[in-house]
Amino acid sequence: MSETIKFMSKVTLKWKGITVSGRYINEIGDFIIIKLDNGYNMSFKKDGIEIIEALEPDAQFENNNHKKVNGNKVGGVVIIGTGGTIASYVDYKTGAVKPLKNFQEALFNSEELETLGNIEDEILFNIFSEDMEPDHWIEMARKAYERMKEGKALVFAHGTDTMSFSASALSFMIENNHYPIIFTGSQRSSDRPSSDAYFNLKGAIKLAATSDLGDVSVVMHSDMSDDFLSIHKGVRVRKMHTSRRDAFKSINDIELGRIDSMLNIKLNDNYRKIKRENDMILYDKFEKMVSLIYYYPGIDKEIFYKQIDKSKGSIIAGTGLGHIKNEFVHYLSQYRDEKIIGVTSQCLYGSVNLNVYSTGRNMLSAGLIPLKDMLPETAYVKLGFLLGNFEFQRAKELLNTDMRGEISDRRTN
Amino acid sequence: MRSLTDAQTDVRIGLEIHFQLKGEKLFCRCPTEGKGNKLGSFWRKLRAVSGEVSSVDKAAVMEMEKEREFHYEITDNSCLVEFDEEPPHTPNGENIDAAIKASLLLNCKIVDALNFMRKIVIDGSNTSGFQRTAIVGINGYFEHGNKKIGISTVCLEEEASRKIDEKDNKIYYSLERLGIPLIEVSTSPDISSPKEAREVAKNLGMLIRRIGKIQRDVDSIRQDLNISINGGNRVEIKGVQSLSAIETVLENEIKRQKSLIDISQILKQRGLNQDDIRIEFIDIANEAIKWNSNIIRKGIEQGNKIFIFKLPKLKGLLKNGNYRLGKELADRLRVIGIGGMIHSDELPAYGINESIISWIRQILNLEENDAFGIIAIPESKSALVKNILEERVAQSLGGVPAETRAAIGDETRFMRPLPGSSRMYPETDIPLIIITKEMLEKNIKDLPKGVDETIKKLESLGIPKQEAMVSLDLGLDEIIEEIVKKYGNPTVASSFINRVRPKEKDKEKLNIIFNLLNQGKIPKEALDTLYQYPEKLEELITSSKQTPQLENRIREIVQARRELILERGENAFKPIMGEVMKEMRGKLEGQIISKIVRDEIDKIIHEK
Repeated sequence: MSETIKFMSKVTLKWKGITVSGRYINEIGDFIIIKLDNGYNMSFKKDGIEIIEALEPDAQFENNNHKKVNGNKVGGVVIIGTGGTIASYVDYKTGAVKPLKNFQEALFNSEELETLGNIEDEILFNIFSEDMEPDHWIEMARKAYERMKEGKALVFAHGTDTMSFSASALSFMIENNHYPIIFTGSQRSSDRPSSDAYFNLKGAIKLAATSDLGDVSVVMHSDMSDDFLSIHKGVRVRKMHTSRRDAFKSINDIELGRIDSMLNIKLNDNYRKIKRENDMILYDKFEKMVSLIYYYPGIDKEIFYKQIDKSKGSIIAGTGLGHIKNEFVHYLSQYRDEKIIGVTSQCLYGSVNLNVYSTGRNMLSAGLIPLKDMLPETAYVKLGFLLGNFEFQRAKELLNTDMRGEISDRRTN
Repeated sequence: MRSLTDAQTDVRIGLEIHFQLKGEKLFCRCPTEGKGNKLGSFWRKLRAVSGEVSSVDKAAVMEMEKEREFHYEITDNSCLVEFDEEPPHTPNGENIDAAIKASLLLNCKIVDALNFMRKIVIDGSNTSGFQRTAIVGINGYFEHGNKKIGISTVCLEEEASRKIDEKDNKIYYSLERLGIPLIEVSTSPDISSPKEAREVAKNLGMLIRRIGKIQRDVDSIRQDLNISINGGNRVEIKGVQSLSAIETVLENEIKRQKSLIDISQILKQRGLNQDDIRIEFIDIANEAIKWNSNIIRKGIEQGNKIFIFKLPKLKGLLKNGNYRLGKELADRLRVIGIGGMIHSDELPAYGINESIISWIRQILNLEENDAFGIIAIPESKSALVKNILEERVAQSLGGVPAETRAAIGDETRFMRPLPGSSRMYPETDIPLIIITKEMLEKNIKDLPKGVDETIKKLESLGIPKQEAMVSLDLGLDEIIEEIVKKYGNPTVASSFINRVRPKEKDKEKLNIIFNLLNQGKIPKEALDTLYQYPEKLEELITSSKQTPQLENRIREIVQARRELILERGENAFKPIMGEVMKEMRGKLEGQIISKIVRDEIDKIIHEK
């Protein structure tokens, strides 16, 4: 049927002895979907209907949603779209989720934008969060570097699932960034009046446009209300809820600051200030043969060893203080001088400590590196970054050395 | 005086009736009824996202929402789904069944699959900013006497939050009601008088309640109306709370619409053209400060401008008998948070005397038929206010504007322009729900009896016909049937229940007192007292809970071990108690069981 009927064609059909008319939307499996004049969509089983008439769609139903508002000017903020909920919109007629062509027309009226500064936007790619790969991180880092050279601050609109990985990756790949790099996303799609996208994006733009925040950061809701946004250090943040607006939490560090509903920014004193005296450095390589292994009671020896064997380096998320079973420790010791194996904790909160129990001490003598309070995901990204850009020995030294505020010996909460 | 609603006015009325379902909410597993505990709150802003209204309306909407905050009170029957912090769950199958049954009772064609849609609503009553709704049946009819009233759709949708309070720019809602399933029945505009509308609503309600699972409490059924008269446009009226209000609201609305049509004819006679409608503001604050008018002085003190403006050819139409165009203008301004305006039909008043009036008329260069308005607003709102006034005055040439109005008491007030169909788009979090042949057959099989059949059924239980009919009207037939089936006394029970009109929460109380009546523990004269004074019931509840059946069963078990008791005397208690507990655990408190067992053992020992 779809071969002959076009989207939004006026159709009249016979069904259960009555005549129904509306506009043709699409087909799902055995069903044809028609939009009735009252706005409701109705599904009809294909074998139960007879199409009496199908007219050509009116010209007015062509999509002409988005147009660009501001041009290219020096200074200001570039919003880089990478995909995810925040960078898509729902087509009101079909319900299909489509990538945004630009953010400005979709999310703001121009009056609101003008108060935030000179904004332009660019769609880098449009992929789901879960489809992000190290190659995308490299592309994002290159793009950020290039735009900062032009004097722009950056806001990355990103899917939320792996946003903390990307934020960590850019934290490491760009040293001494000259402008803020802010990641934001949304947990409720922007077609909804209740979407968190507007506040998140406005806050991120304001922060990028006006602050001297040097840490690559994530800006998302602080709680269920629209009262505050939290600013998280990219290497310290983690998505801790599948669906809530306030899913993102700073772990083992306090937030960098907050933005209130009037877009007033308050930064704490634990952030790194931008210093433009020194050059920016881009590290755009990443070693992909790195693994992140979650240890659990009963993990099969073969499965565990295979992952270690195949990898040039591994991060283990161990139990409690960072432990894995004693039997494995001896096996890992053979790789002491060949592979980098770092140890983090699946507790997430608190620091790894391999001195407390004999298992831990055995792990240390086997050459495993305790990574203090670094998050497992951050450690994984860091290891791939180190093995991609540094020699083996240097990479090993740097893994448990603080580079971007990702690791610490002191915790106050 | 000739009634305004007599046969010579061609009136077309359609009803939209909502029935709340009991049990679980539609898109989560929260119960529809909470315990009333409040567990915190949060607040949000909402944004209009889908713009299908005219630019002026859109501007008004944006103006309003810019400042509005919606505060939500978390109740013990709400969860992350109501907070809009988790996607909706698959709809509850029982709710779908109920909607299918309603559609079948109304002779509708049942859809092949449910497509849930999002209907944009940005008044904050839905945390998501939209209401989820799906068509279940279309093209049905309802037999009202000899007349067939068309049923255009039967929908299954979610209830909105209940507004608790409104202060400044903050609106407070409780989440208790949000997400309760609603069956929405929409009739075609086949109803031709307010009286008929009330009757149809009543009879339709009686029929739909046959399904069971329908809430009976007063605010659980709400009617929306739509009405047009010849020469006018369709007007939607939201939130009519009672059956009796339907008739008066409609009568007043017909009066309003007729007067608007009269006004349009007068304006045409006076020669008002679309092009003449240009509202120009003149700021006269410097002059107005000298007037002896509190209302104007207050406006100036608040930092507002005082604008005067010409209302072309509207003299005597703003407030004069049935002509109330002034109120129409004021209602439009209320939407953007402006308290009101003064117009020349209500002057002299507010300290504005004849000499000020003629001064204004001179400044504005008014002709005989022209009226004028005075308004105190900040400069920043003046462009929007001008647009709104111009639009409404222009609409008065066309008679009745198509719009959505709210029922406030017996009258109606402008809410917003009629929403277009484009404020709906598919709910992408819920897949198509296919209505299988099995689902249809099951519901056809379980279809409740019609009204007549139900009365016959109640009569067969011994309930007098008169009481049966009353109970159907009040929606109390289910509970009467339940009580009578359990505890007999059909005459007493039906007349008592019809008289006291119990709520859902009173059901337990009813069960207890009719159980006591059935057991002969109380006389029927005590029913009223016990029902009214629950504190007296408390004592009876404790004892009545040890239902005689259970007690008898315990005695039976003990009696069966007679031999053991005769052999061991009181030492038989332990093994017998163990045996009884195996069966009675959880049904009665251990203490009570042990007392009965001991008493029974004692009895056997003493018989010896």
